[in-house]
Amino acid sequence: MSIALRGICKQFGEFAAVKNIDLDVPTGALIALLGPSGCGKTTLLRVIAGLETPDEGQVLFDGRDATLWPIRDRKVGFVFQHYALFRHMSVFENVAFGLKVKPRRERPAAAEIRHKVNALLELVQLDWSGDRYPAQLSGGQRQRVALARALAVAPDVLLLDEPFGALDSQVRHELRRWLRRLHDELHFTSIFVTHDQQEAIEVADTIAVLNRGRIEQSGVPSEVYDLPTSAFVHRFLGQVNELPVRVRDGRAYVGPIDISSTAAVTGGATRHIALIRPHEIEIGPEAAGWPAIVTAVRVIGPIVRLELCAEGQPVNEPLEAEISRERFEGERFSAGQKVGVRFRRWQVYPAGGAAA
Amino acid sequence: MAAAETHHPAGLAEPGRLLLIAVALTFLGLFLVLPLLAVFVQALAKGISAYWAAVSNPIAWAAVKLTLAVAAIAVPFNLVFGVAAAWAIAKFEFRGKSTLITLIDLPFAVSPVIAGLIFILLFGAHGWFGGFLRLHHIRVVFAVPGIVLATIFVTFPFIARELIPVMQAQGKDDEETALSLGATGWQTFWRVTLPNIRWGLMYGVLLCNARAMGEFGAVSVVSGHIRGMTNTMPLQVEILYNEYNYAAAFAVASLLALLALLTLAGKSFMEWRQPELRHATRQTRDRTRRENT
Repeated sequence: MSIALRGICKQFGEFAAVKNIDLDVPTGALIALLGPSGCGKTTLLRVIAGLETPDEGQVLFDGRDATLWPIRDRKVGFVFQHYALFRHMSVFENVAFGLKVKPRRERPAAAEIRHKVNALLELVQLDWSGDRYPAQLSGGQRQRVALARALAVAPDVLLLDEPFGALDSQVRHELRRWLRRLHDELHFTSIFVTHDQQEAIEVADTIAVLNRGRIEQSGVPSEVYDLPTSAFVHRFLGQVNELPVRVRDGRAYVGPIDISSTAAVTGGATRHIALIRPHEIEIGPEAAGWPAIVTAVRVIGPIVRLELCAEGQPVNEPLEAEISRERFEGERFSAGQKVGVRFRRWQVYPAGGAAA
Repeated sequence: MAAAETHHPAGLAEPGRLLLIAVALTFLGLFLVLPLLAVFVQALAKGISAYWAAVSNPIAWAAVKLTLAVAAIAVPFNLVFGVAAAWAIAKFEFRGKSTLITLIDLPFAVSPVIAGLIFILLFGAHGWFGGFLRLHHIRVVFAVPGIVLATIFVTFPFIARELIPVMQAQGKDDEETALSLGATGWQTFWRVTLPNIRWGLMYGVLLCNARAMGEFGAVSVVSGHIRGMTNTMPLQVEILYNEYNYAAAFAVASLLALLALLTLAGKSFMEWRQPELRHATRQTRDRTRRENT
């Protein structure tokens, strides 16, 4: 089922949680709503689910106006961050719940329910757990039960609200990959909310980055990561170095480096900043760039992170650069060493605007 | 769990621990166990036969029956109201919510005597509705309906007060999940909400029941003290006591105390039968803590 949002607004008292949002989710897509807390992503998800009614705008399911449909009629599966398993029911009863509450003439026979629930528990690799109670399971297992329960009623859309937020990183990583596989096998439309850019990039086909109730940018993960359209998105999707742009004789500079080739900076009143990701910084011999001193070296598995104090920059705001472990093994940078910095890529934004 | 129970705070020496336990036990003994014992000792002071005569007296029996009947009406009424109010307060945002919370507490804040007087003012011969009631030959004040009304008023807050924090701690996730799975509001209530709150509800009902049976002040004002007709057990105890009939007074009092003890025993029994009670509250606490971090 495809979902379209048209001009959705939602206000809580004085606080505008969602402001005039348009979004299209094609059938079978897996889309991530990404943003910091308070950006309106959960409200948007709840509007789609029917748990909140928008003040303005329309929710379209397959082109039909579903804005006022009650949640029961929407055929959406909703998964909460804290699982919301019914703790007085066994795992089996939890998964069977959606089938057992159907009206009598639609309700499957007991044997069929049993068969279906067991199949679902097998799908989430918990077929041994039917008699257990939620309290006896780990966080990751509980979330898988919650997913099986949501899938039991064969929803057209699966909505997940920070589904892995309460799990530790190992389990989170596993469940992400598992969710992606499940999505590819079962072909439902999924929307999930997260504040973790890593998670969004890893799992989703499309990322919509939200900030203060608006969608800042949406697109495929690599596009949003490589070509952010605002400083906010650039900052939110990974580490960045932020440097002031200086204009001299009609040319733009960061430190002594001329960046005029991509930055259309005129000498106007607006100040600009350049954002450069750590892996976009090139380190070479001192004479070949912006002179800098290595102040710290940290080996993090396959990558090595260097802190660099560039000439003319405040000492407490070192540049962060990342190089591969192989390169580091070859060149052996060490603290105190003098190097020259260059930039492989950069993006320039007006300063002050759209700050996080 | 077992480890936590035997563990005592580091730094608190053995004598200090013993002292604290001794203080607590002495206090309990002086203020709870001793008076309770005194009731039974006094009741049996003139022997078993005198005790039996006092409790099998038809007037005493009428008081027992009236007390049980009043509780049997007041408790279910407040059960329905309490669940509805707690549900509304815990799960919805609406205008006037804080006013509702304050109003629920009103019976706790107002002296029971005043609660009784309110009903005289409303339904008494010269009250607001007095004329209407006389015209239709309905007796409220100085009759059983007045006693029921006063009891309902006084025991209003118990169940709602017990449920509101439980329901607030549990949040709306479970209900929203049930709805998204296709359950109706009614199914959601019976299959999800009610099982989640059953222990809080049970406890609220027990407290409400204990107070309904024991209420004196408000009931005293509206009852009219007609022996064998509008005297509940607490009123009967007072009348007998004022007539210097101590043995009979304490005999009826012992029945009342017995009812209270039965209520407590019922609660302990349920806790013992259902270890998941402790478990359930622990889980709720964990969840709240997690959400607060």
